[in-house]
Amino acid sequence: MNEMTPPKEERSEALKGLGCSRKRVEDARFTQGKGNYVDDIKLPGMLFGDFVRSPYPHAYVKGINTDAAMAVPGVVAVLTAADLEPLNLHWMPTLAGDKQMVLADGKVLFQGQEVAFVVANDRYAAADAVELVEVEYEELPPLVDPYKAEIEGAPILREDIADQKEGAHGPRRHPNHIFTWEAGDKETTSKVIDDAEVVAEETMYYHRTHPCPLETCGCVASMDKVNGKLTVHGTFQAPHVVRTVASLLSGISESNIRVISPDIGGGFGNKVGVYPGYVCSIVASIVTGKPVKWIEDRIENLTSTAFARDYWMRGKISATKEGKITGLDVHVLADHGAFDACADPTKFPAGFMNICTGSYDIPTAYLAVDGIYTNKAPGGVSYRCSFRVTEAVYLIERMIEVLAIELDMDAADLRRMNFIKKEQFPYQAALGWEYDSGDYHTAWDKALEAVDYKALRAEQAERVEAFKRGETRKLMGVGLSFFTEIVGAGPVKNCDILGMGMFDSCEIRIHPTGSAIARLGTISQGQGHATTFAQILASEIGISADDITLEEGDTDTAPYGLGTYGSRSTPVAGAATAMAGRKIRAKAQMIAAYLLEVHDGDLEWDVDRFVVKGAPERFKTMKEVAYAAYNQAIPGIEPGLEAVSYYDPPNMTYPFGAYVCVMDIDVDTGVTDIRRFYALDDCGTRINPMIIEGQVHGGLTEALAVALGQEIAYDEMGNVKTGSLMDFFLPTAWETPNYETDYTVTPSPHHPIGAKGVGESPHVGGVPCFSNAVQDAFRAFGLKHTNMPHDHWRIWQTANKLGLHD
Amino acid sequence: MEIEDEIFINAPRDVVFKSLNDPDILKQCIPGCEELTKISDTELTAKVVLKIGPVKAKFSGDVELNNDGAPETFSLTGSGNGGVAGFAKGGADVQLIEQDGGTLLKYVAKADIGGKLAQLGSRLVVSTSKKLSKNFFEEFDKAVTGGDSTPDDAEEKSGFWNKIVGD
Repeated sequence: MNEMTPPKEERSEALKGLGCSRKRVEDARFTQGKGNYVDDIKLPGMLFGDFVRSPYPHAYVKGINTDAAMAVPGVVAVLTAADLEPLNLHWMPTLAGDKQMVLADGKVLFQGQEVAFVVANDRYAAADAVELVEVEYEELPPLVDPYKAEIEGAPILREDIADQKEGAHGPRRHPNHIFTWEAGDKETTSKVIDDAEVVAEETMYYHRTHPCPLETCGCVASMDKVNGKLTVHGTFQAPHVVRTVASLLSGISESNIRVISPDIGGGFGNKVGVYPGYVCSIVASIVTGKPVKWIEDRIENLTSTAFARDYWMRGKISATKEGKITGLDVHVLADHGAFDACADPTKFPAGFMNICTGSYDIPTAYLAVDGIYTNKAPGGVSYRCSFRVTEAVYLIERMIEVLAIELDMDAADLRRMNFIKKEQFPYQAALGWEYDSGDYHTAWDKALEAVDYKALRAEQAERVEAFKRGETRKLMGVGLSFFTEIVGAGPVKNCDILGMGMFDSCEIRIHPTGSAIARLGTISQGQGHATTFAQILASEIGISADDITLEEGDTDTAPYGLGTYGSRSTPVAGAATAMAGRKIRAKAQMIAAYLLEVHDGDLEWDVDRFVVKGAPERFKTMKEVAYAAYNQAIPGIEPGLEAVSYYDPPNMTYPFGAYVCVMDIDVDTGVTDIRRFYALDDCGTRINPMIIEGQVHGGLTEALAVALGQEIAYDEMGNVKTGSLMDFFLPTAWETPNYETDYTVTPSPHHPIGAKGVGESPHVGGVPCFSNAVQDAFRAFGLKHTNMPHDHWRIWQTANKLGLHD
Repeated sequence: MEIEDEIFINAPRDVVFKSLNDPDILKQCIPGCEELTKISDTELTAKVVLKIGPVKAKFSGDVELNNDGAPETFSLTGSGNGGVAGFAKGGADVQLIEQDGGTLLKYVAKADIGGKLAQLGSRLVVSTSKKLSKNFFEEFDKAVTGGDSTPDDAEEKSGFWNKIVGD
């Protein structure tokens, strides 16, 4: 190395590659109010759409009179199902193989269902006209409780498919039954449990909630009738899938549809699906020849676009007297609402619920999930988690606690005794998954030591005694959770959505002066892709992350990809980025060899340059190579320096973590006070520690919300009781505790850079941790299980039932 | 939702009973009532402006009276539709008990609401309904006993909370 070359470490640092806590490049615009969201898009002559929605959860629509609405000055059109029917767009396919009404076709099936679409010159005229559309309803009895779906005399919801005995996921036993999905070995499991020394059983409700992103769903559809080109700007977590679906539905060639996801103000799963608002806006634009904007208000967002959870879960877990788990049997009654519009890979109608054996070496297991129609909004998305993984992890982490009570054992010891051991990876789980890697014991021991677990238990025992002596009215809960996520959907061999394999992609162009642009098939909704993917690339190709522009979300320019949800961006598109970078480097090496007049095998890569082996003073930097690639005729090598990679992951990745929550609970008010929250995450190779920490904070706060109060509750009449932010709990700085974050690093063996994905882990692990803390506080007083959300009122009731107010 | 309350009215029972069947008196007393039309002895149609929290809507509906238990009991059922604001249905059972030369009016009212009213107003509905029933019977008392029957505007406008809940 000559004197001119800075040392390796210095050059490496200058790249701002893997492991650098690089500041988010997106924040400059976001913090200055310069983001460009869908509602910021204003096109010449743009019209506005607004929905007439059903006040009834279940009713026949006997007639719709639009005369008064049409008479409002500025109203251009009022669309009803009758207008969409000739185009065959009054119904649309869902992601789960069902179909869904775009506008009420003779019947409404949930409160807030779209009945008519008013299009007007401005929002005010549209809103006024919505009030004047007269809809005649004939009320029908609503079905709100999924347990009553199949009893005699239950109202039949989906009369359109009442006679179909076969659904998209197998046989249907009742008109209100959607599917039964099974995994594992039913017979052996039942035998193991019957013969077991100890069995614990519990039924728990993982309540319906909603991702509630800060920005609601919306779009601007613009049909250019001269060129035959349709452009749709929208809040899409999967823009390429939207383009394909739009083409299939409308018959417009995919090359004439351009879908653009601009800046998105949070998605959390809510923006994966295709909603009637998109279809109606597109139709209205085609009909009027003008751009049409549709933006949901908050009530519409909470009550009509994709909810999450709503699983009634019954678990049976068996063990030896010493605490070695022998079997797990799980049944789920899944409330899917009026249409099966869950966003899961097609072959997985209950998502990856079969990850419910968790982090434990459980030899035998069986899972059955029954999907049920009710008069509630459709959806069933994975709210800040991979497909149904929060439900799975909640179930097993509660079952472990219930088993610990049954065995009269410490729940931390019980977990430790049953963890899958480091040497068992890759681990074949009883319900089908192959866990790629893990080191659970190390993570668990580190976590327990960090919080001084033994001291916490001693303090808790002392508190219980003090409570019994009447010296305090506050109990202390120690919440534990150890989770394994399954993210990065997924291998095309078993993961597809509507037949589209779940690969992802990256395309890179290196410019002559040595900067670059990379385009991906994913779309950031706040995750910081422009920051982190540039870092992956910086380490691969030796160009500073600051010189790499990242673009996503425009289907005319970005390569095809399946989008961003289920923590799949880093495991799949991140891998594509690394692989495309390696293609660039391979070509660059040949160019460098020509320039240095050596064989390409005589070169070695050194951070940002190719160096002749044994002669460090002879090198070509990537910047020099880029210039030569465009400006020098090199025999046998095409000019330019570009690469594209489509990455089909060989397996999922399995991030994991160990969380501990210490909580004080006021028995007389039900108020919870989180004294300490410790979160250890292992997401494999860490790309940007600062972004990881931010993701963990966000995920934990959403976990706190779900565990302690956030729900979409229906009354027995089918009304949504929590349809606005007055009743729907979103934590603010006031409710949010301080978080301590920590990590271990167990790289994924099959991912090009060993990364696993982290955005959703804290939510998956956080919900059971908060919930376990509440339940643990009452363990000494005989509580086995109580359902979330643990708001003050419910906690007070729990204390009351246990006789703690006597 | 169920509301139970009682009010003493300083008038003989048959007068109270008759007044409960008198559309003119009812119209005066029902908060927000704009129209009340008698279709038959037991059927009425009504237009009422109702405000619960942020939702304000004009409801049109039918009311059916049941006089079978006259003059000791009286009941009514009704339903109304407020368009996008939602719908309401319900009824009330009223008992009229002779007491101290006047009448003790006991009532149990039941109401179910749906649509945006229920979504937005769930935490306001009970308090608003209680207040509306109370207003009704206070006005009714004034109307029957000949007191001042104009609504008490001063009370309605006072207080931060009343402005918030809007009733």
